[in-house]
Amino acid sequence: MTQQKVRCLILACGNTLRSDDGVGPWLAEWAEERFRSETGVFVLIRQQWTPELAEDIARSESVLFIDCSIDCAPGSVNLTPVEPVAATQGLATHHQGAPQLLALARELYGSVPANAQLVTIGAGSTELGESFSDPVLDALPEACRLIEKTVLHLLIP
Amino acid sequence: MTQTITIDPVTRLEGHGKITIQLDSQGQVEDAHFHVTQVRGFERFSQGRPFYEMPSLMARICGICPVSHLIASAKACEAIMSVRIPHTAAQLRRMLNLAQAVQSHALSFFYLASPDLLLGMESDPKARHIFGVVAAKPELGRAGIALRRFGQHIIELLANKRIHPGWVVPGGVTEPLDPAKRDEILAMLPEAYANIGLALAAYKQIASSFKPEIEVFANFPSNYMSLINEDESIEFTDGALRMIDAKGDILDDGITASKFSEVIGEAVEPYSYTKFAYYKPLGYPQGSYRVGPLARLNIVKSMGTPLAEKELAEFKQLAIGPVQSSFHYHHARLIEILYGIEKIEQILSDPLILDKHVRASAGVNRLEGAGQAEAPRGTLMHHYKVDENGLITWANLVIATGQNNNAMNLGVLQAAKEYVKDGKFTEGTLNRVEAVIRAFDPCLSCSTHAFGQMPLAISLVNADGEVVDQLVR
Repeated sequence: MTQQKVRCLILACGNTLRSDDGVGPWLAEWAEERFRSETGVFVLIRQQWTPELAEDIARSESVLFIDCSIDCAPGSVNLTPVEPVAATQGLATHHQGAPQLLALARELYGSVPANAQLVTIGAGSTELGESFSDPVLDALPEACRLIEKTVLHLLIP
Repeated sequence: MTQTITIDPVTRLEGHGKITIQLDSQGQVEDAHFHVTQVRGFERFSQGRPFYEMPSLMARICGICPVSHLIASAKACEAIMSVRIPHTAAQLRRMLNLAQAVQSHALSFFYLASPDLLLGMESDPKARHIFGVVAAKPELGRAGIALRRFGQHIIELLANKRIHPGWVVPGGVTEPLDPAKRDEILAMLPEAYANIGLALAAYKQIASSFKPEIEVFANFPSNYMSLINEDESIEFTDGALRMIDAKGDILDDGITASKFSEVIGEAVEPYSYTKFAYYKPLGYPQGSYRVGPLARLNIVKSMGTPLAEKELAEFKQLAIGPVQSSFHYHHARLIEILYGIEKIEQILSDPLILDKHVRASAGVNRLEGAGQAEAPRGTLMHHYKVDENGLITWANLVIATGQNNNAMNLGVLQAAKEYVKDGKFTEGTLNRVEAVIRAFDPCLSCSTHAFGQMPLAISLVNADGEVVDQLVR
């Protein structure tokens, strides 16, 4: 990743071989294309969020996390602010949540983005497969609109 | 009445396993086993696939060391093709494999082992993780995360993807190195040197406080095996294998991939899905041996890079002959990180490193081929047979964890006998038994990690199956 300060980091998580779990990467690729001409927007797509991402987050003025969720209705699209929360459990090696990554950025590099948001899309299926379930397919336009609106808002100085 | 203590799952490992400790009627440790409870089936379901698909297929075995599988698999395919890959491709693969060793070793040492080493075996288990390390030793936490990032980023720069890249193919690699990427890697080196220097200094400071653990963490004479160059320097990607005995004398040398199956056998035990590799001339289990960082440093005479060379000399002072305690895997791992950084710098100065000729091509010229490489945790061998159309008819993989399996089991027994007395144990006791396994950094199945919190429960069960004591975290 660039060593320069990033205005908006879009950080997606998901496995593209696990049906709706791949919606985060899909949306991030869409966002990368949508904001290609915009300076300061940087997209990172990972299967899992790991501690190494804390440095990228610390260098960003704002961050938009994108992930699927198994805790809400399939196809539901939600936007929530994220605050740093340190992990309290032992397994912190291969996967971190957005709040833990923010906490790690603050602890290790003394900096967190001024604004951090999380977009989630409710997953209908996370079985093996490279296509989305119908509820997630139907939700893609709404998710794209929400991401576009949020990124444009995050880019306002 | 006999009793069994079960540790299930063992935490901070790559994959899922459990430990059982069998107590006799007096509550003393009678036996102990490390069980690998997953079954994967890669050797079976690859049958019928075209051989040139094998590197990409086999890399999916592991999310931590896919590069080693890519390389061993590609080399097996090249044996089938009877081709020699271009010099630049060999150098680029070597750099990729070293980058993986750096990131994997950083993961093992800082994320998985350092909570025990830096916070203490008896420290609060709720804080005994990478976040705890970051809170207590922020500079080391930062160094560890940066070293892992360093290795991962080189893999991404070379192969366009940090996990399961498709860049290594039979015959070489798909793309040459871009000069801008070379310069980016060179620019990352100073920070990497500073971070590993910090880690080595910190480790040496604390190592002396673990003398009791060093004594009983799989500390026994054994054979060792690793790749080695003709000049007896360390090698991760090419070279041939050497086997030494517990005194350091050479048992076998120049073991090429095609000879591997002639000298290495695999035994099966009823309590584990992982096989037990052994050196055939000595039989099983006498022919069991250790692989990985400890084995490599015990076998080589030189690191071939200046800073790591000094560290190797210091490491070899730990014992007369091979260093036997598996606790020292941690130290060896850090030295190999330093070596990896230095060697990457050396490779980048190769005048041919930007050469565009990076791939050879051929069809099926042999019906059988084998390839070997050093994965971070030890020697890895892929062996395939194909039909005239190049379709896989048989495959066998010998992984590092299987080669360390007997030593891990003996190590668990040794530690359990030391720490479990009269059928009683504490969380710290349990953690030490687990830490023996962590020292080996086994990779049980990186590609099928569980998601979320991993609970740990130890049950003391009597001969009638009743749980008489339980510890849960």
